[in-house]
Amino acid sequence: MADAKPILKLSNISKSFSGVGVLKGVSLALSPGEVHCLLGENGAGKSTLIKIISGAYRPDSGMILYQDKEVVHMTPRWARENGINTIYQEIDLVPHLNAAENILLGQEPLKKSGSIDWKEAHRLAMKIFDDMGGSVDMGVPVGMLKIAQQQMVAIAKALSMNSKVLILDEPTSVFTSKEVDLLFRIIKDLKAQGMAILYISHHLEEIFQIGDRITVLRDGCLIKTGAIGEFDKVSLVKAMVGREIDFTQRVEPAAKGEVVLSVKNLTRDGVVENVSFELHKGEVLGIGGLVGAGRTEAVRLLIGADPVDSGEILVKGKAVQIKSPLKALKLGIGMVPESRKENGLVGVRSMAENAGYSYVEVTARKGLVNWKSVKEKVYGLIKKLEVRPQNPALKVSNLSGGNQQKIVLGKWLAADCDILILDEPTRGVDVGARTEIYALMQELKDNGKAILMVSSDMTELLTQSDRILVMSKGRLVSEMTGKDATEEKVLSHALQLGGGVQ
Amino acid sequence: MKALIQNAFKIDPGSDKRDLAKTVLILLGLMVMATILSKGIFLDLNNIINLLNQNAILILVALAQFLIILTGGIDLSVGAITAISSVVIVLFQDLGLGTAIGLAVLISMLLGMVSGVLVTYRKLPSFVVTLAMMQIIYSLSKVLCGGAAVYNTLGGGEINEKLLGFFGGSFLGIPNPILVCIAVVILISLFMRTSYGHFIYAIGGNYNTAYFSGLPVRYVKVSVYILSALISSIAAILFVSRVGMGDPNTGQWLPLDSIAAVTIGGASFSGGVGTVAGTIVGLFILSVLNNIMSLLNVPPTIQPAIKGAVILIAVYLNSRKKQS
Amino acid sequence: MNKSLNISRTLVWLGRYSAPVALVLLFIFGAAAVPNFVSERNLTAVLFQYSVIGFLALGQLLVILTGGIDLSQGSMVALTSIVTSVVMSRYGLAAGVICGLTMTTLLGVMNGLLVSRTKMPAFIVTLGMLGIARGLAMLIANAKPVPIKEAGFAVIGKGTFLGIPISALLLAAACVIIHYFLTQRRLGRYIYAVGSSEDCTILSGVNVQNVKLLVYSLSALLTAIGGLIWSARLTSGSPIGGSGYEMESIAAVVVGGGDLFGGQGTVLGTLSGVLIFGVINSMLNLAEISPFWQGTLKGILILLAVSFSLVRRPGESKR
Repeated sequence: MADAKPILKLSNISKSFSGVGVLKGVSLALSPGEVHCLLGENGAGKSTLIKIISGAYRPDSGMILYQDKEVVHMTPRWARENGINTIYQEIDLVPHLNAAENILLGQEPLKKSGSIDWKEAHRLAMKIFDDMGGSVDMGVPVGMLKIAQQQMVAIAKALSMNSKVLILDEPTSVFTSKEVDLLFRIIKDLKAQGMAILYISHHLEEIFQIGDRITVLRDGCLIKTGAIGEFDKVSLVKAMVGREIDFTQRVEPAAKGEVVLSVKNLTRDGVVENVSFELHKGEVLGIGGLVGAGRTEAVRLLIGADPVDSGEILVKGKAVQIKSPLKALKLGIGMVPESRKENGLVGVRSMAENAGYSYVEVTARKGLVNWKSVKEKVYGLIKKLEVRPQNPALKVSNLSGGNQQKIVLGKWLAADCDILILDEPTRGVDVGARTEIYALMQELKDNGKAILMVSSDMTELLTQSDRILVMSKGRLVSEMTGKDATEEKVLSHALQLGGGVQ
Repeated sequence: MKALIQNAFKIDPGSDKRDLAKTVLILLGLMVMATILSKGIFLDLNNIINLLNQNAILILVALAQFLIILTGGIDLSVGAITAISSVVIVLFQDLGLGTAIGLAVLISMLLGMVSGVLVTYRKLPSFVVTLAMMQIIYSLSKVLCGGAAVYNTLGGGEINEKLLGFFGGSFLGIPNPILVCIAVVILISLFMRTSYGHFIYAIGGNYNTAYFSGLPVRYVKVSVYILSALISSIAAILFVSRVGMGDPNTGQWLPLDSIAAVTIGGASFSGGVGTVAGTIVGLFILSVLNNIMSLLNVPPTIQPAIKGAVILIAVYLNSRKKQS
Repeated sequence: MNKSLNISRTLVWLGRYSAPVALVLLFIFGAAAVPNFVSERNLTAVLFQYSVIGFLALGQLLVILTGGIDLSQGSMVALTSIVTSVVMSRYGLAAGVICGLTMTTLLGVMNGLLVSRTKMPAFIVTLGMLGIARGLAMLIANAKPVPIKEAGFAVIGKGTFLGIPISALLLAAACVIIHYFLTQRRLGRYIYAVGSSEDCTILSGVNVQNVKLLVYSLSALLTAIGGLIWSARLTSGSPIGGSGYEMESIAAVVVGGGDLFGGQGTVLGTLSGVLIFGVINSMLNLAEISPFWQGTLKGILILLAVSFSLVRRPGESKR
């Protein structure tokens, strides 16, 4: 079966966003009756590739052949109607409708009178579930089902639409092992029926359990593609890493200062478990791991954005309860959030206002705000950070990504926070601004600030951190000094391959 | 460079000023039109003062509405607040005018706080909360006074003469209602210069960001609802003084009128954008428009239709502007 | 898992049936505690009074199911009554009814076009329309009530059949039709889908814009029918009437288990919501409690129902 003629063929697909190449000449062939696994580090280009296949993005160049015909103008609707279905982690079902209605939405069976034939609809839906070997409660809205069951409904919907290609994006990340078993049985059945399946997962065991072929992406390039037998865990990791890292950029580890933040057994049930570490004055502590490893969730606990279930946080030796970012700010902790647009900036206001908010809050606590000095301070920062264009009244949404990020950073510089949490500090930031942000981090470090940095960018993590923590499935699995860290080491811990690959 | 620093907290001062200039231009155009139509009578000082006097209540309510819209919400209970305040002032004036007014203001602020808490802490949509509050407040005002307008008090006396004389009176040649408006505008402008006022823009523009920046988001949001109710109840003082009664049914059109004024003034319904000056200009545009219509003998009854259409056009243009 | 499933089922059941159950309990309470509550006179009075709101609530339900809101209903009642009475006085009964229905429905189409084709929020669009419809009614009527002299017309407002008000029978028929439409027709299900997840509905090939256009037009049409009954009861058209009725219809939908964020609500629930207010109102009257308390009660019920609908929303109870 695996040698069957490909149903979907991508050749030389390239795609870039604002000048940064995300996919560079990637080719991929999907055949009926095979489970094709797509692997790669964070940011290797997997999700962009999926979005191109499902019609959400249009490639800059390259060709898509589907059932031997070239597809020029692909839309999500076209993809669905022609048998290409993608099941994302955030499942797109209509939450208020029940399973049967969701599966048949837009193609409900009708009676002669033109009203919906509910009996037939339920029969059709039940039949699909029976074929799949699963079952869900049809009596409740799907929004009330468990995520795993919702995923089942999404797959059933894809089947009802006569899918020929099924793309599963990290389907098992929220599954129990029983649910994983069921999903794998379904996948095997579908494979036997001739479905072409593209399977994206970080769990190497899973891949070896159900995969037929593997394609590895790295930095937007196709690294290797081949039958499952050609790989083992070690060679897979080797293929995934190997990015060229310019270690001359690597920072000299700072002399360890006093402990400013100490975290003991921090737990948020089901998301972050028993995380303990210490952050020193004058260091950059990097947190690596795969997307979904609980890194963002862990740092959110440190600023009180989510409630802590158990564990202790000590700031400068004192045990503290942090219930909100307001409290965190009082303790001198600030966070540059992952999503700039949603949590970092007030898009409709000026860059100066944005950079000044936290500082205004800090000064307002001491009495009346001296607006003149606030404005001067903020303007000074904008000049220092070389935000371009240097018009402090410009709407912040009109700035480029790098300059926006400088404003978010500037907000915490103005407020003079001692502990800075940076969640993906250079995501969507151009190269020039990135260098400037790194230089700024060094300067802060030299001034005795402590920086906790979550980063999915391996180069950034390896060159900018004095120490590196690796998280996997909500737990801290490893700690290493920046000097000893290699890409392979971080990745094999993140993938939880035991002792790591030597 | 000094100017740069000074203007740092005005968004894109160019476009901000352009927007205001445009609305001012529309206002001037309408005023010229009114002057021509009235053969110069419009520009008469008496006429202008009259116009301001007539709109004093609406100016206050529009400012109350402006603050709420700035947070990204909407307040349909502004009229009901003026109604209950007017009833309370008249009912309790035997306790002394100051006490009665204080009581009215307190009750209003309490009601505003209820809306604010429901919107902020329970995360309910503001328009439903204020719609329900509107119903509750009107009903409570009717319960208080038995449904009919109240002219005199429990003691049977006339409305306090001081209060009755207030609306028609003047100080240093400026009519009292205008003085009250000016005072409130100054107070709000001062409030907007405090850190709380400053944060309203952040909260309205992006609540999450304001939260992550360590701002006291909840306090600010609730306090805006309280402040808004306070201003609406000040409007009620003018109302009682003008018509000499407390009316549990008054203010039905105030939500619509105030929303129209704020919208024309350039504030955005998604919050975070708008100025006090813009709101006032927006209100003047509405009132001059009314004046012109009466000069043209357009029946006053059609005014709701004009206001409705004006809201639709203004919001439509605003939504187009954002897309581009 | 079974436990969470039971909770889900309970929530679904509550959303659907808490209003009817509450209505029955209220009724039993009224029968036991309030003298003269269960009398033909009282019950027909409730039906006469609340069938108008019933039509409005049905329209409001359709709009709210898509996640929208229609604030223009009250003014539309006045506009329908005025257009109908003015045209009827010159061109007869049929012309009056047709013009009344058409005029109001056209404004509803305007609402639908503006909501579905522009980015304007529904409550602003319909708030603007509230003003426009009221102004038009005032203009056409010259701000005065217009008497209706056609005797036949009064039947839909005052007549009874087998002792039951004809207006209530009309409402019952409308409920059956809308219920059938919402549960048995594709378009009806799409109304739920649009309110639940617009993006996903678009992806399933449904023309969401037209679904929205339809619900605002239907809301206006149902409101217009309510307006006809209203003017038939008064035997006159009034340009100032109906104000605040949109509030009552929203209250009925929400208390009947409808969710203002869309996707949730039933005809049975909405009808129960309407009757709950009718029954409470009549009990207050019979118990000689000031009718002025009604608004307070209504407002509190709405706030409670809205808070509760947050809990029931699928997707938010999870996690």
